Amino acid sequence: MKSLLKRGFNQLDALFSKAFTPQWNPLYQLGGLSFFYFWIVAVTGVYLFIFFETSIGGAYSSIEQISHSQWYLGGVMRSFHRYASAAMGVCVTLHLLREFAMDRYSGPRWFSWVSGIPLLWLLFASAIGGYWLVWDQQAQFIAILTSEWFDWLPIMVDPMASNFLNEAALSDRFFSLLVFLHIGIPLTLLLGMFIHIKRITGARSAPARGLAAGTLLAMLVVSLWRPALSQAPANLDIAVTEVGLDWIFLNPYLLISNWGPGQAWAVLVGFSSVLTILPWLPSRRKKQGPVAVVDPDNCNGCGWCLADCPYEAVSMKEHDYKVGHKQSVVNPDLCVSCGICAGACPSSSPFRHVDELTTGISIPELHIKDLLALTESRLEALSGEGPRIMLYGCDHGSDVQRYQSDRVAAISMPCSALVPPAFVDYVLRKELADGVMISGCCEGDCHHRLGNTWMDQRFSMERMPVLRTRVPRDRVRLRWLGAQGTRQLGREMEQFASELGDESAAESVQVVEVKHG
Amino acid sequence: MADIRRYLAQAALYAVFLLPLVYFTHLPTYRHLEPDLAVLKIAIRHAGAIIGECTALTAEETAALPPNMRHAQDCPRERSPLELELLLDGKSLYQATVPPSGLHNDGISSMYRRLEVPAGKHQLLLRMNDDVAAQGYNWQLEESVDLQPAQVMVASFKEGFRLE
Repeated sequence: MKSLLKRGFNQLDALFSKAFTPQWNPLYQLGGLSFFYFWIVAVTGVYLFIFFETSIGGAYSSIEQISHSQWYLGGVMRSFHRYASAAMGVCVTLHLLREFAMDRYSGPRWFSWVSGIPLLWLLFASAIGGYWLVWDQQAQFIAILTSEWFDWLPIMVDPMASNFLNEAALSDRFFSLLVFLHIGIPLTLLLGMFIHIKRITGARSAPARGLAAGTLLAMLVVSLWRPALSQAPANLDIAVTEVGLDWIFLNPYLLISNWGPGQAWAVLVGFSSVLTILPWLPSRRKKQGPVAVVDPDNCNGCGWCLADCPYEAVSMKEHDYKVGHKQSVVNPDLCVSCGICAGACPSSSPFRHVDELTTGISIPELHIKDLLALTESRLEALSGEGPRIMLYGCDHGSDVQRYQSDRVAAISMPCSALVPPAFVDYVLRKELADGVMISGCCEGDCHHRLGNTWMDQRFSMERMPVLRTRVPRDRVRLRWLGAQGTRQLGREMEQFASELGDESAAESVQVVEVKHG
Repeated sequence: MADIRRYLAQAALYAVFLLPLVYFTHLPTYRHLEPDLAVLKIAIRHAGAIIGECTALTAEETAALPPNMRHAQDCPRERSPLELELLLDGKSLYQATVPPSGLHNDGISSMYRRLEVPAGKHQLLLRMNDDVAAQGYNWQLEESVDLQPAQVMVASFKEGFRLE
């Protein structure tokens, strides 16, 4: 199921990236979009609250008043409020499915996964509370089934459903309580969302500006075209027979209505429990390698690994023995062994005058000296005619091993950002290869969150360690095509090889001309 | 030209996302109650009779108590559960024993039940025993009712059964 989901997402990714560009691709920022929708709901909710009357008669009529007498503002606000909350529900569900499909929920990532489960309950509770406040037929349906659902729990002494027996039993105070809950639960949700992203560096809590603008525009069009409206007013003396239902948030009510409260609790709590323990269930995914190790002899305390670690697994402390110096420390509970820290370390340079290359921080699975040895041995083994290419890739992006040949040396690793820019310089300067290509996950959707972003910045000299200016840029390619882009990578590599071939041909012609001159 | 095509594609994808979303926020409708049914709700909140009698304390027993807690009688606190039964046209629709609340079973017995019944004329019999010392049902209401489709009728108890 997971691989099927992953394939589905990969195909959608390609489609959305084509239409939106990778920077605006909504599938790469489902979390950020969820935050954005939350803020839309919050802002519009504040406006609606100004006009809302917390009484039996006033609740429905005040909402109707807002919707009809000021349709151009209050009505639009109400539609934004409803549609943004529904969109948040969809985005959150897609976010959960995507993280599951892409295997981004286990190991040190368990915290974000597990902390997200209660957020689902809070999100549903927030949305249901909102529908309840309108006090129309749907609200009546929700009120009775919710109270019967809670009454099933043995903790309830007085049945909650007794408050909704008939019109005479209903109290104005109930709406005050509902408003309190409809503000309190979303605030708790916001706190939970903050905790959810607490453990990760540079969490994306807002979408790209262009995507946000497009989203607002699309929602405005939809709100004007099909404004959110109430159904017939609630009347507890007459049972709800047929009701227009929000199938996004009110689907648990189908369980309660058809299977009864007990089974609904069993299904919902059971499903949430399975989701919660998912990170620890046996899986066929590749086991994570041992965590990064710091070598105090070679750590100069620059802090570049701290700046680049996407999981906040690196911190600094006083150096073990160099007075006045800092030293990196790895938190094994947070490290996912991606190796981005090794790529960031200034000591990971093959130009260093040492007998055996070593570095300040590296992952045991692919130590920087092993990466160098592998690079050299694979390149030396190339025997084909034409330009030789060093192809680095990551285990989560395009399948680079497929292109290993007598002209291409391919190495795959946990994250492409493990490759220090100095390696590219080294390979070209020592003429071990004619060109270097680095591929990985799609732009904006790195499996290790920020690997390809850091690589882009390092190679464009915006982030340390930079690719030195002496490296001919036309001999280097960074391509973030993802797992779905393996074939395209092959095509682009052929193109790269052809460009490199043209260039060397041109160079040899120049040399010949000089000789004859 | 490429930009226009891209923006059109974006508009199409926004539509693909938002149109089903707008549709599913209120449609398709869900049938919660068949049109030929009515609803009968029973909601009882009533304290059953105390089980047992008060017994007079002897002078020695009273003297053994702290001065501020001395009573002439020792009274039990436990209350009787409610034995409830609803019959519609002679057929038992609901029968339950509702225990008193509280750690010492000395609180009020509360219950709620929603029943869907065919609309139309019915002979309704609601009976209850709230005292374990009494034989059979010591509270009863028998009434002929004519329920309209989707009508909600509530049976409650306050010094006797009431139908609303």
